[in-house]
Amino acid sequence: MDAFIRFTNQTQGRDRLFRATQYTCMLLRYLLEPKADKEKVVMKLKKLESSVSTGRKWFRLGNMVHALQATQQSIRATDPVPRLCLTLASLNRVIYFICDTILFVRSVGLASGINKEKWRTWAARHYYYSVLLSLVRDLYEISLQMEQVAHGRAKREKSPSREPLGYSVADEETEWLQSFLLLLFRSLKKHPPLLLDTVKNICDILNPLDQLGICKSNPGIIGLGGLVSSIAGIITVAYPQMKLKTH
Amino acid sequence: MDAWVRFSAQSQARERLCRAAQYACSLLGHALQKHGASPELQKQIRQLEGHLSLGRKLLRLGNSADALESAKRAVHLSDVVLRFCITVSHLNRALYFACDNVLWAGKSGLAPRVDQEKWAQRSFRYYLFSLIMNLSRDAYEIRLLMEQESSACSRRLKGSGGGVPGGIETGGAGSPGTPGGSLPQVALKLQLQVLLLARVLRGHPPLLLDVVRNACDLFIPLDKLGLWRCGPGIVGFCGLVSSILSILTLICPWLRLKP
Repeated sequence: MDAFIRFTNQTQGRDRLFRATQYTCMLLRYLLEPKADKEKVVMKLKKLESSVSTGRKWFRLGNMVHALQATQQSIRATDPVPRLCLTLASLNRVIYFICDTILFVRSVGLASGINKEKWRTWAARHYYYSVLLSLVRDLYEISLQMEQVAHGRAKREKSPSREPLGYSVADEETEWLQSFLLLLFRSLKKHPPLLLDTVKNICDILNPLDQLGICKSNPGIIGLGGLVSSIAGIITVAYPQMKLKTH
Repeated sequence: MDAWVRFSAQSQARERLCRAAQYACSLLGHALQKHGASPELQKQIRQLEGHLSLGRKLLRLGNSADALESAKRAVHLSDVVLRFCITVSHLNRALYFACDNVLWAGKSGLAPRVDQEKWAQRSFRYYLFSLIMNLSRDAYEIRLLMEQESSACSRRLKGSGGGVPGGIETGGAGSPGTPGGSLPQVALKLQLQVLLLARVLRGHPPLLLDVVRNACDLFIPLDKLGLWRCGPGIVGFCGLVSSILSILTLICPWLRLKP
């Protein structure tokens, strides 16, 4: 219980739990909607989802300052590609939080002249850019890791090799794909924070892709993606060593 | 910027900010009503207050566990009175948060058959008990400190050769007053007690903060339960003051009263 309390004492911890709940409701609604006698449950899930989603907005107020601080930190990264990607991603997040705050002000009724659709599209677009740039950074880091692992293996294989050279040319392409996937798997296994961050970003990008109409999917997939990314976020909050660090 | 990030990273801090905003809205709404502002603006402020209240209920989901954990820790205190007061206060707070969660479920449509009035009254009752326990604990701590202070004072007076008339000795350690106690002497004693109290509170800011905070908080359930209707203005003002003081204890942890 002590660990639970320490976890929920952090705003991000609570927010991730609520986010997981929100997307679980979305997923369950998608799964239960076709069933005939589950209308009441579906209604309750919808109400829970909407009230948790509204309540989470209170968690996001003031997060643009967090994003500004993250921008400051990412400018100091040593490697140029992560530095560029992360700085741009953080800047996009700042703009996303500004749009989100404006939408929030509209939703509590303080400023009724705001065009909700326009600002929602802007918010989705900048969130999309920010997640995309984070993914680019993840792919760059994965490629670095794969290079490292490949070099390590090459060094080890300079010793007398015992690999049979008797495979046909037709198998070479599948062999290449297989060895590429094996290398990818090995590098991600060595670097769990990178794996977690990549999975999180891939799942996070599904929602804006759907909202912006680039790649329409169904609420079930978005719900599942949101749930998985929330769980990944919960792991990074509960175990800070699993957070991907910038060098 | 760094300070804000560290502050807002605690979920309690955000909840306190929302609480301060909620009571500020309540106070503002009351002031606007008195000065005859437009009904449109008043409606907006009431709506914002409603949103803040519901948002805070969501932010508080899970606080029962926190209160129970604090009660568990308080059971191990050495002082009997403190142990009793603090444990009972935390238990009542846990029950208050549980009722609050039920109210949230009702308001958000998950459990539409919840009797909002009944559960709201219950939750305020538990809140009132918890505040009374807190104030009892504060009174006990003040009494202990006053006794300490007065015995220290009398030791200093004895040490300096006792060049002060005996009547100045405070009654904190139970010194016998003149039998029958004439009015000026009672008034003098009272004045000395008040001075001692002021001295003790000035020397212990966390205790002073806690007393003021609990006293301000007390008006809220008293008003909501109908025991002492003070009006939305006073409730809003007291709520705002107590929220600001608790934000202060979050920013400066040394101002928090430790058992």
